[in-house]
Amino acid sequence: MGLLSELWRGLKVTGSTMLKTIGGSGLVTTEYPKEMRHKPQRFHGRHVLNRYPDGMEKCIGCQLCAGACPADCIYVRGKENDPESPVSPGERYGYVYEINMLRCIFCGLCVEACPTEAITMTHLFEMSTTNRQDAIYTRKELLMDESGKVPHMFPDDELADLDELNTADGWLRATAPSGVAAYEGVQMWQGTPGAASWDPEPSQEERDRASEGDDG
Amino acid sequence: MATTPPGNLLMTTVDKAASWARTRSMFPATFGLACCAIEMMVSGTSHYDLARFGMEVFRASPRQADLMIVAGRVSQKMAPVLRQVYDQMPDPKWVISMGACASTGGMFNNYALVQGVDQIVPVDIYVPGCPPGPQSLMHGILSLHDKIMAGEIRN
Amino acid sequence: MSEPVTIKVDGKEFEVRPGELLIKAAEDHGTYIPRFCWHNRMKPVGMCRMCLVEVDTGRGPMMVTACTNEVVDGMTVDTQNEAVQKAQEAVLEFLLANHPLDCPVCDKGGECPLQDQAMAYGPGESRFVEIKRTFEKPIPISELVLLDRERCILCARCTRFSEEISGDPLIEFQDRGNKTEVNTFPDHPFSSYFSGNTVQICPVGALTAKPYRFRARPWDLHMVESSSFFDTAHPRLSIHVSQNEILRLVGIDSEPVNHSWLSDKDRFGFEHVRSENRLDTPLVRRGGELEPVSWSEALDMVGNRLGLIVEESGGDSIAVIGGASGTNEDAYALSRFARTVLQTNNVDATMGEGPSAHFLAASIDRGLIADVDDADTVLVWGPDLKETHPTLYLRVRRAAQELGVNLVVIHPRVTGLDDRATATLRYRPGGGHELLSDLSDGSHEQVTSLISGKVVAIVGQASLADDPGLAESVAAFVREKAGTPRIIPLANRANIYGALDMGLAPDLLPGRVAYGPEAAPEPWGEIPAKRGLDTPGMLDALSEEKIRAVLLVGADPVGNSHEPELASDALDLAEYVVSIDTFLNDSNHYADVILPAAGFSEKDGTITNLEGRVQKVNKIIPAPGQGRPDWSILDDLSTVMGKSMGLGSPETIAKEVAAVAPAYQGISWDLLEWDARDGAVVPLDGEQPLTHIPVRAKGTKAPSAELLLHQGRVMYDDGVRLRNCHYLSRLAPGPVAHIHPDEAKRLGAREGVAVRVVTSKGEGEFAARIDEGTPEGVVFVPLHQPGAARLGTDPVVRVTVVT
Repeated sequence: MGLLSELWRGLKVTGSTMLKTIGGSGLVTTEYPKEMRHKPQRFHGRHVLNRYPDGMEKCIGCQLCAGACPADCIYVRGKENDPESPVSPGERYGYVYEINMLRCIFCGLCVEACPTEAITMTHLFEMSTTNRQDAIYTRKELLMDESGKVPHMFPDDELADLDELNTADGWLRATAPSGVAAYEGVQMWQGTPGAASWDPEPSQEERDRASEGDDG
Repeated sequence: MATTPPGNLLMTTVDKAASWARTRSMFPATFGLACCAIEMMVSGTSHYDLARFGMEVFRASPRQADLMIVAGRVSQKMAPVLRQVYDQMPDPKWVISMGACASTGGMFNNYALVQGVDQIVPVDIYVPGCPPGPQSLMHGILSLHDKIMAGEIRN
Repeated sequence: MSEPVTIKVDGKEFEVRPGELLIKAAEDHGTYIPRFCWHNRMKPVGMCRMCLVEVDTGRGPMMVTACTNEVVDGMTVDTQNEAVQKAQEAVLEFLLANHPLDCPVCDKGGECPLQDQAMAYGPGESRFVEIKRTFEKPIPISELVLLDRERCILCARCTRFSEEISGDPLIEFQDRGNKTEVNTFPDHPFSSYFSGNTVQICPVGALTAKPYRFRARPWDLHMVESSSFFDTAHPRLSIHVSQNEILRLVGIDSEPVNHSWLSDKDRFGFEHVRSENRLDTPLVRRGGELEPVSWSEALDMVGNRLGLIVEESGGDSIAVIGGASGTNEDAYALSRFARTVLQTNNVDATMGEGPSAHFLAASIDRGLIADVDDADTVLVWGPDLKETHPTLYLRVRRAAQELGVNLVVIHPRVTGLDDRATATLRYRPGGGHELLSDLSDGSHEQVTSLISGKVVAIVGQASLADDPGLAESVAAFVREKAGTPRIIPLANRANIYGALDMGLAPDLLPGRVAYGPEAAPEPWGEIPAKRGLDTPGMLDALSEEKIRAVLLVGADPVGNSHEPELASDALDLAEYVVSIDTFLNDSNHYADVILPAAGFSEKDGTITNLEGRVQKVNKIIPAPGQGRPDWSILDDLSTVMGKSMGLGSPETIAKEVAAVAPAYQGISWDLLEWDARDGAVVPLDGEQPLTHIPVRAKGTKAPSAELLLHQGRVMYDDGVRLRNCHYLSRLAPGPVAHIHPDEAKRLGAREGVAVRVVTSKGEGEFAARIDEGTPEGVVFVPLHQPGAARLGTDPVVRVTVVT
């Protein structure tokens, strides 16, 4: 008797789950590549080099990202800005910027190290290549164009949602308000790269309220 | 050759048919070596469901596999084992190098690890990530399908 | 020395020398007191107030600066109590009030004392919210140095360096109060030969070097210790490399040699290493054109041809010129190769310049650089040290200025040391011997009276018109006068002293041994008995077609010659010319085969400086293309020629040298890398294997012509290495003729006007430079300038203004 009831209990789960899928409402499978999985806001995807709203590059070639990188996958060389047509504000700009995506462990330390918020991470992860050379992203692929659009290594890749490149994490833990009350209300990161105004960081209460809303 | 009709008319179609057949059910050999293997296993679960590509059966025997997903760090000691498993796989066979460590050694640039599994076996697809999520892996698999479809049958 | 005193720092008691500065005494005993302005090699000034500590000498605790206070017996010092910390935080807050936060783009970022100490001792935040003081961003104050006044914290290190150490105070504080800035004087660029040192000692990024600007950050640099190949004192330095490219050199504080200072030539002269003009593949001349070939092809070709010539005409028909540009190991390999494989004794590394090889290698009573510090008198009768031997110049200057040593300078014109000299003598070019006999006859009493007690005589060829043997005569004169003086003979060329110690002269064998077949080192076997020729002799023999083949090793007889036509004609007559070199030079136009050599920082080995100090130099980057070290090229050649030397590696060569060369006994790489990081002076036991008592030769008098030509080396010239340096190549003065203002008036020449200088051997146009340092009746022309005509050695000259 016991065996039968155990069997019934087990098959009940199977049966009810099976019935749930009728009509498609209970399907758990994400039909990638037709639909994308929802990614959390702080997802660490492909890097992007940002610009200021006026079109200047944010990268100053300081190599702090390369210094912070635990995998040594970033190669940066700085060069002096031509005062007549500067690439970035100040004296120096990133003349060579390369990331070997196959070495990269997407830890985000480069983003934290960057003093100008020049490098941030997007939500794009579709980067498979057929050879190692293609995985080395240079300035050409990393740097967003002046309208704020981020180029893709393989623009005709049907398997990737290129819009994700314009969804940045940009969450700078080092300067994030969490824990440091002094930054509340101060203009901080905007959440998306490109030319746009920066909203002030919300206060702790505002964020608590917002997250409660999410849970409900 | 003078006798071959221009454009390889017949062969193209056979190529396509054979390639299509090959892509529809690739059996991966389990070669989970580290954390990437967890993501590789997740790819088989219902959320991601590798069965949609006919490749949910991770074979324990290389004889029954035609795709090797190298998932994780390949240590110098593991290298000959990996090569032996690859050699035991029947042709045609493909290799996906999954994650930073398998592809280049990742952050472990040291004496103990092979700096890229392509030093041991020919790699068809490199999947960046540390580890690559299941969808990254699937992007790699789909890229491999494209590669197979684009190629000609040999052997 | 007086009794040591006891002081107590942070509860730890230790004994120190009385009179020592507190900051130094504490550091020597393991307590670091933060500082910006204080530098070990300069006088304290107490500008930055960072080294405030609490000192109790029995009158209660007081806050004093550790860098300006000497230790006193019974002193109690607290370097980290609350009051001191508060003071340090306040000092840093004030320093940062105006310091821009552009660390990410600053070349100093990552190795900046201000950054480090702000992290370690700073308050973490500032109360200054006001806008910072701004200045125009970097202004070039010389061809090599940029000044960013915003970053300056007014520590006075650079101003003190240029005033106290290098003696050309061209950078100074200006204005008062919060507008104080450091700057150069209007129309006077910071054209010091030592400007790079101010970059090195600047505790912030206010002074930065152009060649290093934005090229790397400290954390991606690899470094290795080595020595400079420009200055024959071989100042110790650290090579900083990123991505197999040298990015900068930094002086290392080596007590016996360079006190951490480097001349700009030593500091920035590395640029030639990465020059695009470096030879990177063996070249063979076919139908007049140089074609790249493989190493094996080139070596076979050279080996077979040289072997054939030795077989047909004997070793005497082969000349070996050069060898001073490499390491001791390279020189030894060349010496052995010439004597045993080529069977020739025609070897010469001096290229026929300056004092004789015998004198240079075996000077009696060889002096050390450090000997100038405790000498009674330093006599400099030789080239202008500031121009040719900058490290020695700084040491002599310090001795005269800070240590009260009497300094006598004898030179045809004003030298860099004259302003610190106790006595100076000028003489007409070519009249050195005349002056010397005057001196020994008792004239110039005020000078001769100084030459007594502990004397260091720094001797060399002061003017091209001087007899090269004059230096020996001067040494003999000083010896007569002062008993046992210390003698430092001067020569130019990178590792000339090491090359001569390895026997690269017709009358020398490795280890300062006089040449003789019976003295041949054991592994060498039989060596030719016949005495060889020096460079002028070899060139003569070439003209007479007595020599068939020439092996040039880093040598440019045409470029160096004062009568280049003679040298080029001689090389043109040679049947076969092989050159081992890093660059194509003037002589290589006559070369049949050119083999690319590894240069500075591209090979391991040892080098020997002018005091006989052997130092280890290290490899950190690969040679470009297929370049190889000299020793390995020669080793392979010997194998092709069937007389393999089997040298193996530079370290095994060093072991062989230590075994066969008497003066080098006991020298090993282990010793130089661990126990003797500053180098070891050979011979270690103090015995000179080769004694050579200079004879006072009577020389010629100065010609009685109205105008005489004085030619001497200056720091920047048209040497092949400098020519390939991006920044330094612009600094050579070019073809100029220095003329006294009165003389110029007589000639009708003004500053910058073209004058024609005519001697018996050559003539050319030079730009007149009105210069009070050149005496009347003398024209000074810097040697080896780009675009300058060669004027020969004869001092009789005619100068006319080109109209």
